[in-house]
Amino acid sequence: MNHITVGVIGAGRIGRMHTENLVRAVPGARVKAVASPHLDQGWARSLGIPVVATDNDVVFDDPEIEAVVIAAPSGRHCELVERAAAAGKHIFCEKPLAFEPGPIEAAGRAAREAGVVLQVGFNRRSDPSLVDLADTVQSGGVGEVQTLRVTNRDPKAPPVDFVKRSGGLFFDFVIHDLDTVRFLSGSEIVEVFAVGAVLVDPAIGAAGDIDTAVVTLRLASGALAVIDASRQAVYGYDQRFEVLGSVGSVAVDNLRPSTRVLSTTGGVVTRTPYGGFVARYRDAFVAELRSFVEAVSAGDPVVATADDALAAVRAAAAARASLASGRPVRLESAAMAAAGDATS
Amino acid sequence: MKTITVGVLGAGRIGRLHTDNLLRMPGVRVKAIADPFVDFTGWPPDGVATGVDPGLVLGDHEIEAVLICSPTPTHAPFTEAAAAAGKHVFCEKPIDLEPGRIRRTLEAVERAGVKLQVGFNRRFDPTFARVRRAVVDGDVGTVQIVKITSRDPEAPPVSYVQSSGGIFLDMTIHDFDMVRFLTGGEVAEVFAMGAVLIDPAIGEAGDIDTAVTTMVMADGALAVVENSRQAVYGYDQRVEVFGSKGSAEAGNETPNRVTVSGADGVRADNPLYFFLERYQASFLAEMAAFFDCIRDDREPPVGGLDGLMSVLVGQAAARSIVERRPVPVERP
Repeated sequence: MNHITVGVIGAGRIGRMHTENLVRAVPGARVKAVASPHLDQGWARSLGIPVVATDNDVVFDDPEIEAVVIAAPSGRHCELVERAAAAGKHIFCEKPLAFEPGPIEAAGRAAREAGVVLQVGFNRRSDPSLVDLADTVQSGGVGEVQTLRVTNRDPKAPPVDFVKRSGGLFFDFVIHDLDTVRFLSGSEIVEVFAVGAVLVDPAIGAAGDIDTAVVTLRLASGALAVIDASRQAVYGYDQRFEVLGSVGSVAVDNLRPSTRVLSTTGGVVTRTPYGGFVARYRDAFVAELRSFVEAVSAGDPVVATADDALAAVRAAAAARASLASGRPVRLESAAMAAAGDATS
Repeated sequence: MKTITVGVLGAGRIGRLHTDNLLRMPGVRVKAIADPFVDFTGWPPDGVATGVDPGLVLGDHEIEAVLICSPTPTHAPFTEAAAAAGKHVFCEKPIDLEPGRIRRTLEAVERAGVKLQVGFNRRFDPTFARVRRAVVDGDVGTVQIVKITSRDPEAPPVSYVQSSGGIFLDMTIHDFDMVRFLTGGEVAEVFAMGAVLIDPAIGEAGDIDTAVTTMVMADGALAVVENSRQAVYGYDQRVEVFGSKGSAEAGNETPNRVTVSGADGVRADNPLYFFLERYQASFLAEMAAFFDCIRDDREPPVGGLDGLMSVLVGQAAARSIVERRPVPVERP
């Protein structure tokens, strides 16, 4: 088998996870180098990675490296994508590419012009349950789509430091749901209305963000969608999805680490859902890298493109504008407002 | 137990259902039923007087309580007439489509000093009552998100849609009441997004058949109701209350607990088909509660204010569709 030689940029929590997946679970990939300012050498050695560096150029300048996985802090994603494209390397980049449309468009253009693959880390598009759900919808299993529902609740609110640089609830968290609605429906978001509240942690409110939201969407097909999001569900990572159509409905429920059921006089107790995204989407994180390698080596379609990242960020910007104005926002005007922000 | 004599106005589907329940209920005697349109051949059983004139019920001094199950435009005048005659009233929802008219009716009830219960039967459903208890017991902590799915199995005839007051006042009104019941709080602001995705004739009649309604509660919690006039797999009635300590969730009721597993999949039967099947227990329980309140001289658990508030929230939702913006809920 022809191996793709990969370099990883960024070895934080997600970067380490991707690296371990590439080494252990993606047969077509060979990780040659990892670059990160703070790197655990012992960890890299244990994975048999020959090159470990603090300087990203070690990856970009290595002619043997064909593809890079970018898992650096969000604020640097687009700059690194452009740098990788200029070096002629295929790119897998974590979400969000950026918080504004402009840099995403530029990054997508750079990859297109360089003729390299660019895949974005919308991991849910590779989750076996959600792929099944999307396939069911797109093969007509529920008929014409009428309503979509997404429930997205994190098990524990992040530290306020993270909230401050995350881009806020819509850009950091609900962005996955906005992409999921597009993925499941195959339709574009044209109108957004958001209500939000600070009900979990007042410090999140003091940092200018919200921790609880309900977002209503109208799609180009005419269907409606509703997302409810919370930074903290004490019982675990709550991930549920449902699509109602003219001939039926289809749903994906929470996954649990164990199917044990305990029945006593006190009631019937099942285990709580997985405790976080790393465990819940373990298969998806492997599958997205496998499909990236297939896209590079066999020219398979990319599961999440820069255009998908752009559409999700535009919808998130519309949600932010709706929350600020208390009004529904049409997506064309949201895109224009965001472009205005970017140029001002 | 003291026996209460009751009369019924309106012998359509819901009037017959209540009457049949009361005929089997200890401590209640159904004396008369009036309906100008219904053929009483073969029903009700002997011993119950029937006629076309509401005076048969309203003018009978022996009748202490009246069930109003007639068409919506008659609810307010019949409630007022019954109250003026000193009779306790159980009135189907909505009391009226106009809040001003409801307020006048509630004043008449107040002046007469009679009891008024409104037919929000879902509050008496054992499943939803259990969810409410989880909230009251503190199992979900401070309520943050209420989520209701409410889908009918089939769209009503367009003739019904034309006179029903629209989806928010004939269908979502139950969900608005459920949000108030589950939280124990009031809705402050409503935004609704709607679409015609099931039957174009519903759109031509000026209504919608699919809606997502978000609400901000007075205490800051969020609520969302998702409605469809047609879920082909049956009556889809689910609620969830999510809060700081957890969530309480109620799924659909099915006729049995059987799953059949084969090579093609694992199959269970569809949810109970519609409200008569799904809410059978609640219709009995709401009647029992009404007559207990009369006997014990207590206020009914769901009264005139609840009838008014649900219409005010429904009106705000309808305005939100027209004006394409969130609409504050008028004060009672």
